[in-house]
Amino acid sequence: MKPEAIQIDIKNLKKSFGPKEILHDISISFDKGEFIAIIGKSGSGKSTLLRLVASLEEITAGELLFDGVPATKSEANVKMMYQDSRLLPWKKVIDNVGLGLTGDWKAKAEEALNKVGLLPLKDEWPSTLSGGQKQRVALARALIHEPSLLMLDEPLSALDALTRIEMQNLIENIWEKNNFTALLVTHDVGEAVRLADRIILIEDGQIAYDEEVNAPRPRKLTNPALIELEEKILNRLMHGEEEPLQVSETNQGNSLKAVLSN
Amino acid sequence: MKLDFRPWVIPVVLVVIWEIIVRLEVISASLFPSPLTIVETGWNLLVNGDLMTHIGVSLWRALTGMLIGGVIGFVLGVLNGLSKKSYIYLDTTIQMIRNIPHLALIPLVIVWIGIGEDAKIFLVALGVLFPIYVNTFHGIRNVDPNLVEMGRMYNLKGWSLFKDVLLPGALPSIFVGLRYALGVMWLTLIIAETIPTNEGLGYLATNAREFMQTDVIILSIIIYALLGKLADLIAQFGENRALKWNASYTK
Repeated sequence: MKPEAIQIDIKNLKKSFGPKEILHDISISFDKGEFIAIIGKSGSGKSTLLRLVASLEEITAGELLFDGVPATKSEANVKMMYQDSRLLPWKKVIDNVGLGLTGDWKAKAEEALNKVGLLPLKDEWPSTLSGGQKQRVALARALIHEPSLLMLDEPLSALDALTRIEMQNLIENIWEKNNFTALLVTHDVGEAVRLADRIILIEDGQIAYDEEVNAPRPRKLTNPALIELEEKILNRLMHGEEEPLQVSETNQGNSLKAVLSN
Repeated sequence: MKLDFRPWVIPVVLVVIWEIIVRLEVISASLFPSPLTIVETGWNLLVNGDLMTHIGVSLWRALTGMLIGGVIGFVLGVLNGLSKKSYIYLDTTIQMIRNIPHLALIPLVIVWIGIGEDAKIFLVALGVLFPIYVNTFHGIRNVDPNLVEMGRMYNLKGWSLFKDVLLPGALPSIFVGLRYALGVMWLTLIIAETIPTNEGLGYLATNAREFMQTDVIILSIIIYALLGKLADLIAQFGENRALKWNASYTK
């Protein structure tokens, strides 16, 4: 059975650590198969939001629904790619890809490695790989489970510029060929503009900005509309709401459609 | 594998100097028998079968004690490393017992258990238990929590999480404990074998003392040293095999 991308509905979600509220009353929905980028300064709560959606943290108040079912009861297959690849150093590349699988998974693991272009390295130890290769293995490890939701927690931030572009292309490519909802947390606005259908800005635990990116794929970094959008978001990020830019007045759901063309 | 002779240069030079000093009669040959005399004594004991019997008995005591103490220490370490509850209940008690020098228990052990094999094995087991416990516990506790979180996300739980993430992550530390425990094992055995007995390397040395056979005393000390080195080599070999994924263990 082909895996299905899921719809995510977040309703009045709050998260506190002790007396400190990190996320205040967040409500937002992500469509099936949408590629969403969540950006924000460090400490804004963007990673916390991701970890809540991944059920790695408990929700303090509010609801998190996958296809209308509470996430805790949902059977949805959620996988995550982390900033550090988190490969098990004591397992060969192929065994890392097959982690958590039972039965005859070798052929599937080889196929997944092939998708990320690393089949020749299947019998290497992770410690011999470069940063970019490790992230490719981590991507293969996620893909083999055919997730309906793939979370990407700044997976490219530790890579050099060239490798990052390669990985962006690879992730976009794989997302287009497979059917999953993608949730990318990044502090790189350019990356968000390059990859996402929709960009959410989290500021002080609230959604400060929500915008769709309608540029055709594959996107070129030289696309003037994309450059303009990137600058606009960067401005918004750095100067806050006082900036005379057109931004959403309310916190949620007020998406400004950027009309973009190549 | 190419054999490296460099680590053996100093021991060999020392033995040669020793032989020369004895030959020159600088020191008394009855107090410091020459290396050749010791080799001769060793050969004679080997030929009449005594040496192998004694080594065999000592090895049996060492390994049985090691196995019992090691398994208990490992299980306690894993238990307390995984379960907070178990840690709260058990660790204080274990630490209190650990801080008693186990050799100080010899008089009590003789009274309670007697002077037989049990007493010696008990002392060895008690001695090796703690280094294995402490290092297993810390190994499990110090496994990168990020890897554990990743493992859970990738459907590992219970036994598979232990086997694929926790145990391999703790292994470097467990091996440190094992190698330390091997040292404790020999030390304990040497002392424990001075408890009256009529077999084992300790007996060989104690008995020789009665008759001023310094060559036999030194021979048994050398055998302890060799056995200790051998045990460490085996542990190191196991370590290199088990940890070959770790760049700091591959040469």
